Amino acid sequence: MLSKINFYLIEYAINAILRQKYKSFFITTVLTLLVFLLTSVFFITNSIKYELDSTVDALPEIVVQKIKAGRHYDIDVEIQEEILGITGVIDAVARVWGYYYFENAGVNFSVVGVDEFEKQYKNSLTNVVKSGELGESQNSFMVVGSGVKKTMHKNYYKEYFNFIKPDGTLKKVDVVGVFDGDTQLESNDMIVMSKENVREIFDIDESKATDIVVKVSNPDEVQTIASKIKLIFPDSRIITKNDLKISYQNIFDYKSGIFLALFIISLFTFFIIIYDKASGLSNEEKREIGILKAIGWRVDDVLKEKFYEGFIISFIAYIVGVILAFGFVYILQAPLLQNIFTGYSQLKTSFELPFIFDVQTLFLVFFLSVPIYIAATIIPSWKTATLDADEVIR
Amino acid sequence: MNKYKYTQKTPRLLFILASLVAILIAEGIYLNATKTLSLESQNKRKEFVSISGLPDLAISTEATFIRHRSMSDMFSIYKDDGSLREYFPSTYAYSHSHIINGQTNAK
Repeated sequence: MLSKINFYLIEYAINAILRQKYKSFFITTVLTLLVFLLTSVFFITNSIKYELDSTVDALPEIVVQKIKAGRHYDIDVEIQEEILGITGVIDAVARVWGYYYFENAGVNFSVVGVDEFEKQYKNSLTNVVKSGELGESQNSFMVVGSGVKKTMHKNYYKEYFNFIKPDGTLKKVDVVGVFDGDTQLESNDMIVMSKENVREIFDIDESKATDIVVKVSNPDEVQTIASKIKLIFPDSRIITKNDLKISYQNIFDYKSGIFLALFIISLFTFFIIIYDKASGLSNEEKREIGILKAIGWRVDDVLKEKFYEGFIISFIAYIVGVILAFGFVYILQAPLLQNIFTGYSQLKTSFELPFIFDVQTLFLVFFLSVPIYIAATIIPSWKTATLDADEVIR
Repeated sequence: MNKYKYTQKTPRLLFILASLVAILIAEGIYLNATKTLSLESQNKRKEFVSISGLPDLAISTEATFIRHRSMSDMFSIYKDDGSLREYFPSTYAYSHSHIINGQTNAK
């Protein structure tokens, strides 16, 4: 393999690159930036997707909601008994949750009611609460995410929070714990308290719930059970775990797709400029090829030399771009670019992107940059090299 | 390789390429060792999700389309695309806080 590589040609290619130092430097820088930008966006998407995929399995298989006049509506709690009667269903729980809009800060908290807050959930909660401690309280109490805690602090609520109920009265709830920083990406805007408190704050009747979650033991049966529930309750909307996965995929594909489209446009603009410059090869370069041919170089020698030239520039740009992207995304946690994925929220998290070594992304960016650049340098040279030497020199 | 007479440039280039690849590999190993999700923290996340039952990442709290995708309007599914659910700027409306903007509620 090594014997096939003509080191003299490589030497010549290096000299050719160094002869046009500034142009080569400029092209390498621009290509590096392009590679860096695209790789960074893909890395961020992959990390968030990975984080989501690793938790999505912990979700209930089916969520049943009631739809009235085309909108989501409170569902009857009794329905869970009927759903439990369907073969294959191991559990059906009526959930109570909703968004609480905190006007002073202009943010939405997600308030979730948990069954028997004090007993069976206490152990699980202790595991995900910071330093493993749940404080004590005589009144109603809740556990909040770190973003919620910060927002409350800014608004002078340190130990408790006053929820404004729909009838205008206040409901005072004590803060007994903050969720662990590890779960920040999931828990930042979350408030967990007992179901009774949530019902009181949102004025939801005992006989109603926000939705019903259904657990199914055999994953192959999810679709069948979903359609059975739909048959029994035609006014319901059934969302399976798979639906959620697919819709997430769409969101991330959409966001990184925009970048891929932008990248392709800028990449092609870049290559059009290079191709244009190269196809109107400067007289000097044309003369160079002419002289090389006159002294006995074959067309494939010229092309090989141009291949080395293109490869050296684009490969260095690719490697440097990927090294920078790794550092930017995983060490600096992608400042600025991360905001594209965090939306419009005012309750922003400062989350850690977990490292994923994604070979697919690296290959995708490699094939989008290196071979295309090499082609853009070889094709115009091939056009010149196939002409007669004397014609080129003249 | 000694039978050829090169200048210093070719070995230098090969050295640069090799060191770049080495840096990339070293960076990858370092990140793999320090920045991957530990099993413990992954379990914590799973536990949290199973307690709350809400899947969505808190990276966009006002956008119902990302925060809790199971909670959105039925008809908005087919408005743009068969698979798209409700999204914030176009299908979401709320009265912003007049206090934070330094304005009063007086009409």
